Amino acid sequence: MLNRRCFLKAMPPALALSGYPVHGFTKDAVDGRIIVIMLQGGMDGLLAVPPIGDDDLYKQRKALVAANPLKLNPLFGIHPNFQNFSRMLKSNEASIIHATSFPYTGRSHFEGQNISQIGLKKAFSVDTGWLGRAMDNAKITGRAMSLDAPLLIRGALEFDNYYPASIEETSIPKKDLLQLIKNTHDGTAMETFEKLSQSLIQGSDEFRARDPLSLAAKAGDAMRRNDGPRVAVLTIPEFDDHSSIGSTTGHHPDLFTLLDSVFGQLKKSLKETWNNSIVLTTTEFGRTVQENGSEGTDHGYGSVGLLAGGLIKQSSVVANWPGLSNKALFEKRDLYATIDYRSVCAACIEAAFGLDHDLIIDKVFQDKKIKRTFHHIFG
Amino acid sequence: MYENKYQWARKIGFGFRPEDNIPGDINQWNIEQLKSNNKNVGLNGNGKWPDNFNFSIEERFNRLFTYMTKREKHESDKISPIEKKRLVKIARDENLVHLHDVYKYWNNSIYSQDTFHQRLVHFWANHFTVGGSNNFRNYVIGDLIHQTIGGNLGGSFSDLLQKVILHPGMLDYLDNVQSAGEESQYTKSMRKNGKTAGLNDNLSREILELHTVSTAKEYSEKDIKNIAMILAGWGLSVSYYMQDFNNEKSSNNISKHTSLKKFIEKPYLKYKAEPGNKSVLGKSFASGPSALYILINMLAEDDFTAKHLSRKLAIHFIGENVSEEEIQKIYKVWKSSDGDLSEIHKVTLEVAQKTKIKKFLWPTTWMFQCIRISGAQFISDRNRNNGFGEIQDNGLPKFEPLSILDEIGHNFWASRQPDGYSEKKQDWVSTEHFDRRIRIASRIYRAKSTISGEEIAEIYGFSDRTKMSISSAKTKEDKFIVALCSSELMEI
Repeated sequence: MLNRRCFLKAMPPALALSGYPVHGFTKDAVDGRIIVIMLQGGMDGLLAVPPIGDDDLYKQRKALVAANPLKLNPLFGIHPNFQNFSRMLKSNEASIIHATSFPYTGRSHFEGQNISQIGLKKAFSVDTGWLGRAMDNAKITGRAMSLDAPLLIRGALEFDNYYPASIEETSIPKKDLLQLIKNTHDGTAMETFEKLSQSLIQGSDEFRARDPLSLAAKAGDAMRRNDGPRVAVLTIPEFDDHSSIGSTTGHHPDLFTLLDSVFGQLKKSLKETWNNSIVLTTTEFGRTVQENGSEGTDHGYGSVGLLAGGLIKQSSVVANWPGLSNKALFEKRDLYATIDYRSVCAACIEAAFGLDHDLIIDKVFQDKKIKRTFHHIFG
Repeated sequence: MYENKYQWARKIGFGFRPEDNIPGDINQWNIEQLKSNNKNVGLNGNGKWPDNFNFSIEERFNRLFTYMTKREKHESDKISPIEKKRLVKIARDENLVHLHDVYKYWNNSIYSQDTFHQRLVHFWANHFTVGGSNNFRNYVIGDLIHQTIGGNLGGSFSDLLQKVILHPGMLDYLDNVQSAGEESQYTKSMRKNGKTAGLNDNLSREILELHTVSTAKEYSEKDIKNIAMILAGWGLSVSYYMQDFNNEKSSNNISKHTSLKKFIEKPYLKYKAEPGNKSVLGKSFASGPSALYILINMLAEDDFTAKHLSRKLAIHFIGENVSEEEIQKIYKVWKSSDGDLSEIHKVTLEVAQKTKIKKFLWPTTWMFQCIRISGAQFISDRNRNNGFGEIQDNGLPKFEPLSILDEIGHNFWASRQPDGYSEKKQDWVSTEHFDRRIRIASRIYRAKSTISGEEIAEIYGFSDRTKMSISSAKTKEDKFIVALCSSELMEI
């Protein structure tokens, strides 16, 4: 059992990012798995991973700090609902990136969600996702656990999605029927009917649960197979808590519990493949440092990213902590993001797919200024 | 150019049922729908919608309150958990309103004779998204769709915008009910007692970004904050409506300030409002409720709103690859008519009829069209009946209309993001989406469809390629499914 003691003694309090190598390097082909958990609505990073050693936290926030965070180091704690994740931190298979964000300060959900999926600076500028382009460059396949195919993995050579049907009295469509329907379509619709017809062999109607936890179980089972997908995308919605967000208990903490069980479930169902996997969260923006008038927080900027998986060798909290004094805040209201989260995504791609950092920032994120954080997370 | 009446009726409406009288002058038929309010056709298309299935806002809140009171009582009763569950379910079923609303939505979509009007209702219901919740907001979403939106499409955009923003569903969904001015009497007294209160900018931000000018207009965080200050004091949480009027101990204590009837007409609480002047986009607003009306007018008349919404309408009714020239035609009328919705909708029709651009239909638009053109009835998702014949004890048909909407991922009563459902084809093309289409086509076949796949292909002018696929299918059901899932029916 975990308690409030500091269990990550070896870890430096806050690691500033510096000393980047000039060149990346190409490793031998790596057979890693990437699972992205999209936290839709904007996760409150200060509630999830409170900087308990920063006195300004308690000056800025009156209600929205959990009463009993698990202490990670002198500066950071983690919300007590992250039990599985804390265990992973303790066993050196999880890391936290704090004061981070995709490069977006506009506070619109929809622009922010778009940027967190396309990975470029300008919202709605392309129709492909950063993970899709990474898969494209690494020539691998993926799968999304949702009714639609999320933008994040579009652009990949091959991708598929999964979301169990629950229309009673209907069965899996027949192959010859699918071929006939396919022949009436062109382009992506035609390809999609073809893909549906090919996936029927493995398809099954038995599995109908669609909550994130069940989908995580399904994702882990599928990715464990040698011919299974190497990428999965899960969504946990409803982080947009403008009111009654909750501190120790409440809606945001309940979502932390759910997210935490998804981490736990993924580890459980991936089994030995966990050792070769990296799970990372994304969110469109953080939330305001101060509470609003209704015990919630409004749209902000910097937040936190949670990473777990066997590809991590040493747990750490990676942050270039900007502080929470009024002066330190972005536009006097938000946590400053001092780490471009795309550098974290790039490190995950490098670790799981073995692509060269320079190639990732050029082809995937199209921004050569993105720094290499690989050694901070996977080094 | 849509010269075939059947195809045209699908481009901008839901198509014709086999038993429908096809109008002689189809353009006149469309234009007549523009000034009309929701007709709310009767069950199975017979007569008018039953009066006992219409609920005023006041009755909706009363029913919710009755349900919550009974639920609370049963929860504290000393009875077995099974008995508790049973009694709570009875209380819920007796006081339901949202299922009636969902029936009305289905019924209008598959039986009404004003399908362009219905498509407009769906478009605006999506533009002004109010996401559902299991127990509370679902009591008012149907009112927003059918009364507020369906009843106000013949007037100005400004008028519609004002009614939607002040609808209890919108004020609740985007958290305005939680907001109170920093300097308001309410916030001061709450803070004195050690409680949190103050502004919440959620609705303010989305009015600008989604409902009116969009991010193309470069407004600032200060504008958002000032709009939040103008909005403070408007609205009351749906779940507390009746409680606050019936309970003297309530922190809002509303009955001291106003009556329920007055509050429904004008949901404004002065003691939560922010005193003093506000400034939005360079314009100054005095304190008091009229600031909101002036602000809404100003935003409705903004050039960026005309641009944003002309484009949105064009994409919805013409297609995502609509040309700038086509959008401009709608925009010009928006400007010259000062945002008169019937003029704007009329020019949208004109542009849509002449276009060569195709639109990939929303799953529900496709499904309602399929049900109509094949002469089918409601599709049930339980093995209880085929179609819509049997009536339950509560007067509703044996049919669960929400789960099918969830299955195809397009449900106006679902909990979802305020930007509404996507207009992009790529968001609706996936193996899972297509799997659902096939399953639903199969259910429609069994829901008393009256015409065959070959007949549909003939009437709606399908290509030879598709006709060949239909004729190659082995069974009558397969032929029907190929016709319904063909590119011609998914995209027009």
